[in-house]
Amino acid sequence: MNNKSDILVGVDLTKTYGELAVVKGVSLAVRAGEFVSLVGKSGCGKTTLLSILSGLEHPTHGQAFLTGKEITGASEDELALFRRENVGFIFQSFNLIPTLSAWENVALPLFPIQMSEAERRRRATELLDQMELAHRLEHLPAALSGGEKQRVAIARALINNPKIVFADEPTGNLDTATGDAIMAILNQLHRRKGMTILMVTHEPELAKTADRVLHMQDGEMLS
Amino acid sequence: MNLRYVFKELTHQKRRTIISILGLSIGIALFVILNALSLAYHEAARAPLKEVGADITVQRPGNVPQELVGAVFPCSAVTIGEEEIEDIKAIPGIRGMGKAVLLWIFDPNRAWIVLGIEQNNPVGPSILKNFITEGRYLETGKPEVLVEAAYARQFGIRLGDHVNVAGRSYPVVGLIDASHASKIAVANLYLPLAEAQAIAAASKNLQSVSPFAGEDVNLLFIRADQDRITTVAAAIKGILGEKATIATPESFLKLLGSLFALSDKFTLAASIIAMIIAILVAFKTMAGNVAERAREIGVMKAVGWTHRNVTMQLLAESVIQGFAAGVLGLLIAQAAAFALGFMTVNIPIPWEMSPTPHFLPGGGDPLFKTLRLPVHIPWSLAAFALLLSVIIGGLTGALLGRHISKIKPSEVLRHE
Ligand SMILES: Nc1ncnc2c1ncn2[C@@H]1O[C@H](COP(=O)(O)OP(=O)(O)OP(=O)(O)O)[C@@H](O)[C@H]1O
Ligand SMILES: [Mg+2]
Repeated sequence: MNNKSDILVGVDLTKTYGELAVVKGVSLAVRAGEFVSLVGKSGCGKTTLLSILSGLEHPTHGQAFLTGKEITGASEDELALFRRENVGFIFQSFNLIPTLSAWENVALPLFPIQMSEAERRRRATELLDQMELAHRLEHLPAALSGGEKQRVAIARALINNPKIVFADEPTGNLDTATGDAIMAILNQLHRRKGMTILMVTHEPELAKTADRVLHMQDGEMLS
Repeated sequence: MNLRYVFKELTHQKRRTIISILGLSIGIALFVILNALSLAYHEAARAPLKEVGADITVQRPGNVPQELVGAVFPCSAVTIGEEEIEDIKAIPGIRGMGKAVLLWIFDPNRAWIVLGIEQNNPVGPSILKNFITEGRYLETGKPEVLVEAAYARQFGIRLGDHVNVAGRSYPVVGLIDASHASKIAVANLYLPLAEAQAIAAASKNLQSVSPFAGEDVNLLFIRADQDRITTVAAAIKGILGEKATIATPESFLKLLGSLFALSDKFTLAASIIAMIIAILVAFKTMAGNVAERAREIGVMKAVGWTHRNVTMQLLAESVIQGFAAGVLGLLIAQAAAFALGFMTVNIPIPWEMSPTPHFLPGGGDPLFKTLRLPVHIPWSLAAFALLLSVIIGGLTGALLGRHISKIKPSEVLRHE
């Protein structure tokens, strides 16, 4: 299974909460530049698997490799630094910092990095421009629509030039039209920039736009 | 740590920021004002003695002759011998000494309280020279007297008159209004020390209970190093005996009877309580802050902030709030100090220190030195309070580290 072009590899991943096994011996691989969607019923363990693969959480058993590095044994801080370098996140509930303006939210991952304020702002502005939000730089999240919030969040996910983007139901909180617009952005990112994306969704229609669809059921991967 | 983020957070969450700054600042203000009050009472207690240029006064109680005729010593001040004076002078920490002889003189037609003074010694009642209402002050070496203005009025004594005191005649060269002068070492008649010593030495009645020789006195004023007053006082007791009446700022402090005056421990305990309350308030609001921002902190961690990055960010917030609270606390304390400065204190003067025979007008009445409470905040106290406030801010920030580390970045994937 370990292939050189695999950017993300999971081997026999298991996560249990007490007696409850939520992810059961899942193995998978994602190639660089691939757009993979992960579908399954609510509660089947999609989010849990995503958090293990992205280095947010440790599995109970098994190994996960991101960009060739094993992340399963790393400490919290090592993982944080690793995510800062390699990973972008898009969440269902946007998770913008309410007190920071749009561009500051985009720059949030850069705050702990030695860099001039002007450079942070320049990079954030450039990405917001790509998201067609150049006119919303100074707005607080509360003043943005759902779709605008998610576009700010996408810009934030891209600010560190990640090697892979994890998206957990990125359209879950949006109406269909706005959701489609977000999906268009993700597809464009994948096609034009060759971004690797692992996206969790439970809408089969959205899943189909991906290169490959993975199905989960009761914590297990269906092949 | 990102300052822009710190200020955005503090200014956008105004209510929370104001509550935590206000809570902490009240504690700091309380701490400062308690200590300033304690200092003020200490300073006030110094006032009665300061007026006679002294830190310590020394007397020795003894007996009064059966018959009150001629010159006698009050029972609160009998002979302190020349040799004892030399011994006292040699105590380390003493910087200056003044001597006086206080007599009650019962002449056939009137009674006097008479004080023999060193007219130019700054340690002692020479401050009197500022309170001459008529005539002039005593000139060195001349046998002449000053008479208290009220007393002179009562008995029709005028400037230029000669008065008979214990069989000696003296010209009245000045009248003096001592009501604004010190409350200790006051008399009806002031004359040079040597004259008073001569009168005392010549009084058989006095000699019969309290032998007195040429250079002896019955009242000493002592100036001492501020930090050695207590040990000097103890050493004097060692020379004059346990019964000696030694007045120090501390003994006046005890007479004041105020909680602040009474006990440094009270001030310390109250300050500590004030600080604990301040710390609890600060900690509670900041802990609430972390709980409220759990999701935000989770996001920060998810996008690559280390535990240290997050902690430093929140630490900066709490340190800045601590500093602001310190400044505000000092302003509050300054206002309170100003208001408290209008308070007056009445410092009781013990009868022994200003003995008036009971049958004379005003004799035995309680005597007070009244002054405005000298409340002010010294720079050192202000700086310490500010430092403390910043440290409390830092400490609470640091204590929050544990709460912060409990927040898992994966939690942000779970939507509310
Ligand atoms: N911290 C936890 N402790 C206990 N059980 C948990 C915990 N986190 C998740 N679970 C359980 O694990 C199971 C899988 O959760 P997960 O969020 O991965 O599902 P999901 O497939 O993402 O569902 P959805 O589509 O609704 O988001 C659920 O039954 C959930 O209750
Ligand atoms: Mg989920």
